Amino acid sequence: MTGGYDERCAADLANVGDGRDLSRADRAWLARVVTGAVRPNRDKPVWDLAHALAALAGATGARDGRDLITLALDPGLARPAALAARFGDGPAVDDRGPVLGTAWSTSWAGLARLLALAEFVLTAEDLAQFATVASWLDELAAAPDPDSAAILAKRLARHLAAYRTAHLPLAPLERRFRALLTFLGGRRSVTDDDILDFWCTEMATGERPGFRTVAEHFVTFEAAGHLLDGLEALSTPAALDAHEGWDERLDAALGDLAAAEPAAALATLLADWPQGPKILTGAEREDLTDFLRLEPYHRTRPLTTLRAVSFGRVQSGIANRLRRGGGGADIAERASCLEAESYGALRARAGLLAAHLTRMLRIAAALRIADRDALPEAVRSALEAAEADLHRVRRAGFDDREGLSAGFAAAEPALLRLAEAAADLNRSLDGLAHQRPLDALFPADRGIFAVAFAAAYAREAAA
Amino acid sequence: MSDAARLLAEIHAARALVRDGLRDAEASARPDHARLWAHATRAPHGPVDLATVRAIRSDPTTGRRYRTMLGAVALAHAPLAAAASDGAIVRRRVGAYALEILEAADGAPPLLVLRGEAGQMPRVIEAWLDDETARLDLGAATEGAVVLALDPAVPDAALLGRMLRDPACAVFLL
Repeated sequence: MTGGYDERCAADLANVGDGRDLSRADRAWLARVVTGAVRPNRDKPVWDLAHALAALAGATGARDGRDLITLALDPGLARPAALAARFGDGPAVDDRGPVLGTAWSTSWAGLARLLALAEFVLTAEDLAQFATVASWLDELAAAPDPDSAAILAKRLARHLAAYRTAHLPLAPLERRFRALLTFLGGRRSVTDDDILDFWCTEMATGERPGFRTVAEHFVTFEAAGHLLDGLEALSTPAALDAHEGWDERLDAALGDLAAAEPAAALATLLADWPQGPKILTGAEREDLTDFLRLEPYHRTRPLTTLRAVSFGRVQSGIANRLRRGGGGADIAERASCLEAESYGALRARAGLLAAHLTRMLRIAAALRIADRDALPEAVRSALEAAEADLHRVRRAGFDDREGLSAGFAAAEPALLRLAEAAADLNRSLDGLAHQRPLDALFPADRGIFAVAFAAAYAREAAA
Repeated sequence: MSDAARLLAEIHAARALVRDGLRDAEASARPDHARLWAHATRAPHGPVDLATVRAIRSDPTTGRRYRTMLGAVALAHAPLAAAASDGAIVRRRVGAYALEILEAADGAPPLLVLRGEAGQMPRVIEAWLDDETARLDLGAATEGAVVLALDPAVPDAALLGRMLRDPACAVFLL
């Protein structure tokens, strides 16, 4: 439960996002509203939603909640342009979008997002509350005014709060981040050794979090930490006028955060790897997943990446053995980290993976470009070399030309991103090795991890 | 300070939800909410989306979602017969409405009689039994009652009559 959500919540969000074909930014917005990452007031989006629905009910002459549900579930209304085309000439709009009374308005883009939220509150928990929410919409449609909107907003806020309690176990995460903030004592910049030191202190408190998990928390901290300064200003009475527009600022900042993220996480690409020719073996995918799971640390924090791969594996081996109650080396032996893979060996493997991905990209090009007569000589000979290389590959599926072409066509976008990520990883590992010899780093780290593991798992090791 | 930790936890969960979003091929093959809703609120005799109908009948999750929506738009519904009953039943209550089957006599078809205590009368009846379903227009009420002939020559009407006699049949009045 390290992610802070359960499967039901992931499925509820995916149903809305996929059904409406939401953009990444809109998915990120909806996820933030559901988890509550909205300031200064978590309930602002449902307040807006209630007013938007009242405005739509008034504008469309909705007879009952049923008409509003039809609007909320219609994927044809998922885009701002579609909403402007449908309602732009009607009553209760200004040049930006819908308005309700004199005190509330939003843009068409805002309305598109709010309707996605409407679908979420209607269909959450696999529709368990559908009838309840539908009856609230009936009441709103009967009197679509600001008073009814305020009542609906309160109901929806309670509804969403109950949903969070049931499906978003955030308290353990909140505790972890509070410990992290205390540990940093107000600092906003972090070093690799801060991450290791913090993990060591958490191990000593008995909760025994995974090093990888703790590193993931630092990824979030580094991505969002700059927002916290603004947050503190909010709680200072002197800065009350700074509230004005703060939600938009936070929204923009958090929106940037989502936009800065790649179209799909590298780990997701690897998990969704298409069936077909064995462009990557299971072991290669596993290695890449381990190297890239802390994205963007494979570029920015090579040392934390190496620590997570080498000793993260040791720790998950211990955790698995504890869960199963046996199998493989015993706890004390694992905790000694003698089996941990050295940083030099990991760097060499990262190099091999990058080289393999580049080779596969060349083969992909050779398969795609059959008509080479008009190409410059240099390109042609490169493609022909790749073609010849293709026949040397001894992997399942590489002898069936048609299946191979289809397989590479399906995998190529993912292949490109992974090759780029593997090249980034190698560059950052080279940089690290240049500054701090890996042969000296690894034994020192092994000492630290072995001490932490031995202390944390002493009881089980002795059993 | 405590709100900073809370905000980071919320952002962490939101980012994880977007990054690792559920990738479930089975889920994405199901009809989306809009299709189910369109089917639940369709006009009698209107066109139906056959893929949606198939999914509602063959996939239990889709069927359950559809019946949840149907229940929300229904004036009254009875997911299952209120009490176990041995053998066929000819009378049941669905919310504020009473349903009764008057058996055939003298070669005339059986009649379904629906009475409401007050207010709005339903226009459509939909019944579910296992993966079988029938939806019929009820027509206008006269003097607080709707009468529908369960004509054995009309397949949907005959099916409805057979289903309604089974205590396990779910009934939606729309």
